[in-house]
Amino acid sequence: MRPNDAASVRAMPLRSAPARPVVAAAVAAATVAIAALIAKTVQSELVMTLLTQAVITAILATGVGFLIRQNGVVSFGHAAFYGIACYTIVLCLRNGIASPELAIVLALIVPTAVAFLLGLVIVRIPGIAFSMLTLAVGQACFEFAMKARQVTGGEDGLSINLPAQIFGMPTTWFQSAHSMFVISWGILAVIVVGLWYVAESPFGLLTAAIRENEERARFIGYATTLPRVLVLALSAFVVAVAGVLFTLYNIFVSPGVLHWSLSGSALIMAIIGGTRVIWGPTLGAIVYFFAKDLAGDVTEHWQAIIGLILIAVMLVAPAGLGGALAKLWPGSKTDG
Amino acid sequence: MLVQILNGLVYGGLLYIVSVGLVLIFGLRRIVNFAHGSLFMIGAYIGFSVAAMGGFWGAVLAAAVVMGLVGALLDLTVFQPLRRQDPIVTVLVTFGLLMVLEDFAQTVWGKDYLKMPVPPMLSGSVSIFGDSFPIYRLLVIVVAGAVALGLSIWLRASKIGLYVRASSVDPFTTAMQGVNTDRVSVVVVALGTALAGLSGTISAPLLALSPSMGSYILIESFIVVVVGGLGSFVGAFVAAIVIGQVHNIGLVYLPWAATMIPFVLMVVVLIWRPTGIAGSHV
Repeated sequence: MRPNDAASVRAMPLRSAPARPVVAAAVAAATVAIAALIAKTVQSELVMTLLTQAVITAILATGVGFLIRQNGVVSFGHAAFYGIACYTIVLCLRNGIASPELAIVLALIVPTAVAFLLGLVIVRIPGIAFSMLTLAVGQACFEFAMKARQVTGGEDGLSINLPAQIFGMPTTWFQSAHSMFVISWGILAVIVVGLWYVAESPFGLLTAAIRENEERARFIGYATTLPRVLVLALSAFVVAVAGVLFTLYNIFVSPGVLHWSLSGSALIMAIIGGTRVIWGPTLGAIVYFFAKDLAGDVTEHWQAIIGLILIAVMLVAPAGLGGALAKLWPGSKTDG
Repeated sequence: MLVQILNGLVYGGLLYIVSVGLVLIFGLRRIVNFAHGSLFMIGAYIGFSVAAMGGFWGAVLAAAVVMGLVGALLDLTVFQPLRRQDPIVTVLVTFGLLMVLEDFAQTVWGKDYLKMPVPPMLSGSVSIFGDSFPIYRLLVIVVAGAVALGLSIWLRASKIGLYVRASSVDPFTTAMQGVNTDRVSVVVVALGTALAGLSGTISAPLLALSPSMGSYILIESFIVVVVGGLGSFVGAFVAAIVIGQVHNIGLVYLPWAATMIPFVLMVVVLIWRPTGIAGSHV
């Protein structure tokens, strides 16, 4: 954790831009208006489906990226929180434990609480060991979902029936790509602005200080474990939101939502987009989905291509696309 | 019962050979190679192809030599140029390599499961206190034991071994004493990946070959390395043996939970000792 290592994915200035909350909110609102316009003009169901998936996964990547940004550690297991949210809804509804509204609330609380408790054990583990652990914990959840057939349906997965209305909104909104795209984008915009507020707040600055030098932060009198646990819980909460949206959109869930390859893709999106700016992972997710779609038409070697892209980004621009763009226009778009 | 313990030793032995490669590289370079499991997988496929033409021992040799060369290349082209960067940059690059290697294996050998036959000369069984046990499995235990013995002699007796041990305890002081770890790292990384290739080929007759077998063994060996204490050779040995036994007992008595037990063990060990059984440093 060398503070002057400019090429590091983790290092960055403590304060990236002056606080401009009104501008941030306005930019976010403008992007939602653009999203609504896109949904209005684009007729193709295929493009909209792709966009909706991209936005839901962008929320997942944003959660992963926020953990890198604030705690300086890289998680290879965030699909666990995503998948726990998915399974919470599905299991609550199938077993009649809770109403859909309550199930959604529980699906946001349970992964956050799991992350909090897990965080008490794992946030003190530094660097690479943290990455290895999250990979192993995430895969343990996947193995459990595969094996516990009576509960989770194993490999076959589970589907659910939703009532006609949830929170007073027609359920069809969640299942049509056109409307779900706008809903998801709106939620993503709120999350990005919210996380930006957190990052700029005293709490955000404290976690950044702990990231840069945990020992010094401790020496000047701060408790250094709890803030990092809270960041992990917050990033798990963001990821849980993505899981809820995914479940409402697909009304089906299988152990694939817990697999390490989903954690890996979300991480790659966050890295390609860059984590120094909160909106970097969103950019990464959109680039990822469209590159995947284009590459899929030409070649079967998508996995190798994305691997090579990841390597190239790490070697050439460790700050990612977002970092490179933010450098081109200093201070212009570090908020939306 | 004895057969169960021996079966646990087979799995533990294989885990040890894979994990100790990770420990070697971590000891010297302070990085964890996420492509290590993929190198194991490629080693298994190379062994599979060579065994079909040149016999089993030729396959073991070919896999170890080819993966050793790949390891040397990996050190020269990835680890050394990135040594001044944050270690996480190298980790992410090896994660990219993992994806490329899986795709490569899928292209060359296909997605379907392949089965490598047990070599005919080792296909029989021996009787151990009245229970019959396959010779091939005994051989795996012997090879794992030989690797453990050879490696500890090498680490104790050679100059490079001294550097690796010193660096795994304290890289900073080691560098201050004038040890240039870059000079020896080609040999160490080549040895670590050669062990991955060797264990790949040896385990091929026991496992089904598929491009995704690499990530499975990667996660299992991560558990071994974390439980043992990152960078500790003794810790990795003990953890591999314990997890081999626990895994096997689980398969026999609690089949539905068998895959979960190593994870649970890891969490328990970490709550008890956050740096692993032998770890005083991370």
